[in-house]
Amino acid sequence: MNSASQNSTNIDSDLPISGHLLNNERMLRTIFERCSDVVFRDVTLQGNIRLLLIYVDGMIDKDIIQSTILKPLLYEGIPQGIGPIDSIAQMCEQEMFAVLQTKKVYTFHDVADQILQGNVAFLANGEDSALLADVTGFEKRSVEEPSMEAAIRGSRESFTETLRTNTTLIRRIIVTPTLKMESFRVGKLTQTEVVLAYIEGIVSTSMLDEIRSRIEQIDLQGVLDSGYIEESIEDTHFSPFPQMQSTERPDVVSAGLMEGRVAVLVNGSPITLIVPMTFWDGLQAPDDYYERFMYVSLNRWIRYLFALFALTFPSLYIALTTYHPEMVPPKLVLSITSLREQAPFPTVIEVFIMEFMFEGLREAGIRLPQQIGPLVSIVGALVIGQAAVQAGIISAPIVIVVSAAGISSFVIPRYRFGYPMRILRFPLLVLSGIFGLFGTAIGMIAILSHLIHLSPFGSPYLQPVSPNRKKQLKYVFIRKPRGRTS
Amino acid sequence: MKKILFVFCLLLFSALSTGCWNLKEPNQRAFIIGVGMDMAEDKELEISSEIAVPAGLGSSQVTGAGKKNTFTVVSAKGKDFMDAGQHIQTELSRSLFYAHRQTILIGQHMAEEGLGKYLDMVVRNPKSELRSVILVVKDGTAKEVIRADPTFDPFISTTLGSQQNALGMKPFYFRMLLCDAFSEGTQPIVPAITADPARGYVYAGSAILDKDHGLKLIGFLNPEESMYDNWIMGKQKDLTVTTSIGKGNETISLVVQSLKHRIQIKMVKHQPQIHISLHGVGSIVENNSSLDPSKDDDLKTIQRKQSQEVEEKVRNLVGKAQHQYKIDIFGIGERMHKQHPRIWKTLKPHWHESFPELPITVSVHLRYRDPGQTNSSL
Repeated sequence: MNSASQNSTNIDSDLPISGHLLNNERMLRTIFERCSDVVFRDVTLQGNIRLLLIYVDGMIDKDIIQSTILKPLLYEGIPQGIGPIDSIAQMCEQEMFAVLQTKKVYTFHDVADQILQGNVAFLANGEDSALLADVTGFEKRSVEEPSMEAAIRGSRESFTETLRTNTTLIRRIIVTPTLKMESFRVGKLTQTEVVLAYIEGIVSTSMLDEIRSRIEQIDLQGVLDSGYIEESIEDTHFSPFPQMQSTERPDVVSAGLMEGRVAVLVNGSPITLIVPMTFWDGLQAPDDYYERFMYVSLNRWIRYLFALFALTFPSLYIALTTYHPEMVPPKLVLSITSLREQAPFPTVIEVFIMEFMFEGLREAGIRLPQQIGPLVSIVGALVIGQAAVQAGIISAPIVIVVSAAGISSFVIPRYRFGYPMRILRFPLLVLSGIFGLFGTAIGMIAILSHLIHLSPFGSPYLQPVSPNRKKQLKYVFIRKPRGRTS
Repeated sequence: MKKILFVFCLLLFSALSTGCWNLKEPNQRAFIIGVGMDMAEDKELEISSEIAVPAGLGSSQVTGAGKKNTFTVVSAKGKDFMDAGQHIQTELSRSLFYAHRQTILIGQHMAEEGLGKYLDMVVRNPKSELRSVILVVKDGTAKEVIRADPTFDPFISTTLGSQQNALGMKPFYFRMLLCDAFSEGTQPIVPAITADPARGYVYAGSAILDKDHGLKLIGFLNPEESMYDNWIMGKQKDLTVTTSIGKGNETISLVVQSLKHRIQIKMVKHQPQIHISLHGVGSIVENNSSLDPSKDDDLKTIQRKQSQEVEEKVRNLVGKAQHQYKIDIFGIGERMHKQHPRIWKTLKPHWHESFPELPITVSVHLRYRDPGQTNSSL
């Protein structure tokens, strides 16, 4: 960081605006020294009153300034025949500017701050305050279809980088004044707006206070994504499981709000956090609530099974084939053995090699330019799948096991909830390679006890299964059909 | 965090310090898929193990070296099962693995000596498979049958269970032999095969073992007799009955399903009277006679005639059991034990002697549900 410039603004910033326009202008010019995008515009009204406009070029809507601010000022002048007016600023605010939001500030710090956020500042000679008009208008992405969380039914809207757009998307769904949106600013340099959205009366106030205080304690230089907030306020960093649900769908956020949860929206990030999260949220898809209950209940079970499969399949394979072949059907064990005859490595090493390659392929696939995307799949399928087996380096069942487990981890509807399954697979592999099924069982017990121990923001991660809330189980293991009343 | 790491390292090292753990890759094991037990001339136990050779199985990708056999048979003598196993191990580079044994074959000579004392390993060893099919080799040794190359499967041992299924029986597993042997009054009836030069083996009915005398072989039932015996014991799922009817070579065949069996015991003057009743419903699958099953009269004739014929055969079987073998092969003792436990206590000590004298009546009722797709024959 450039400490010199920071210091200079800090020294200036707390000073109040003086009544002398030239001094004020000099002061602001010092603050915005070498900022080529900050514009100072002089206007002289009726030959004697000097008005200074300051704004950041590109952050404001030029049309509005020209048509609703400059035009009336320059062409019509101060309206005749009005009563006594204390100041130019008051006059402008109340009688001239056709702008919705205006406010007055009295220190250089505030002026500079507001200018940087897309306001236009007006300073008049002889006045110790600055008038700010909100004419923000900058380039932004429009609302598009969700790219990470596709849903077959349900809304096609997803959040954008603009906080105001995002809050609007939620407001349009939940139409009640009890939907509160508390605003915070986080990040010394980015001054990122963070909004806590919740429905008053449904949300638990103790949890809300906890979140609020954690956000207020954040002391970061910059916040570039909601991930910064997530990591700063989560309960523990040492858990592979995400403790906050993240989504780009306004309908998912709204559902969470109506369940009494808190949404954390961060300016500049299309991903909204929902607090707290449970294990089962990670395995639910928005379609679960839009499609008929019978299909989605079955789909849910498929997901639960595949999640378990993604976690345990490779380690179970190792344990069963190398420690307990009596548990494998005879014909299967013989065909596995016949395919393993040529294999040079032990099964554990084979699985590790293939898992490693699979993770590599996955990582490569995410960031590859679209044009060479197919290349990876060809190389992956041919080289790693077929050639490795034909060359006798890897035995064919391993390819099946690893790719089946890999695919299963993608069955999990929330992409990031597949991470813990893939990460935890490796310790399980080691354990089952050393201890067989006993090791797998120990590993599963460890994972389970960690899950039970985890309770982000005071809400147990495994509820309603543990602690058992019998009445809510019908929303976990099946999705209870809705009647006419809720 | 440090503590967790410490505990983890401790666990890891403890695992490594043991030096040996029971990890074995599948290709370090020799999978025994079938076992033959014979009594050699010098009264020593001879075990023949059929061991799968995975390199000979499937894997078309292994090119170059000529195709290997799918299995190999290794025989060795020993004082007992595991002793012989040790001798087998000396011939093999992979460690023997018993848990996938599909079949246990008992040579006739061995069965005649009584196999009770040699089967302990099968029950006691935790790595042993209780769902092995067990069979007695009639007129031969297990050693020669286990070498047979079957028609469909790569190994004979996997085919024997499915053959019993194909014959309409429930496969006879080792655990069923155990159940029978430890029951009060059921004598184990073990399926039998015999060596055949063309096919390797042929189903040859059943062997009767006497559980009260160390599971000694008493005699054999031919395939038809064992079919009816299995029906009485509830081990038959379906059967085909062909009877000649009317004049000349006219025959009718019936596939009987939903077989029902019942042994009724009546106590008349403290003497048990046994009635075996068998019911079966089936459909006519072949009719070479002049009778028309779609006509009520003819149908009744067919039913009566066939029931009579089957009844006659079952009566002969009962006679054979009572007078030739003098052993209860129908589980009547077990039935008695369940229905009249107190009387059974007095009967049990001399059941062998009293069984041949029991009055046993038989009734068979076959019904047609389906006359087939045509009326009279062409």
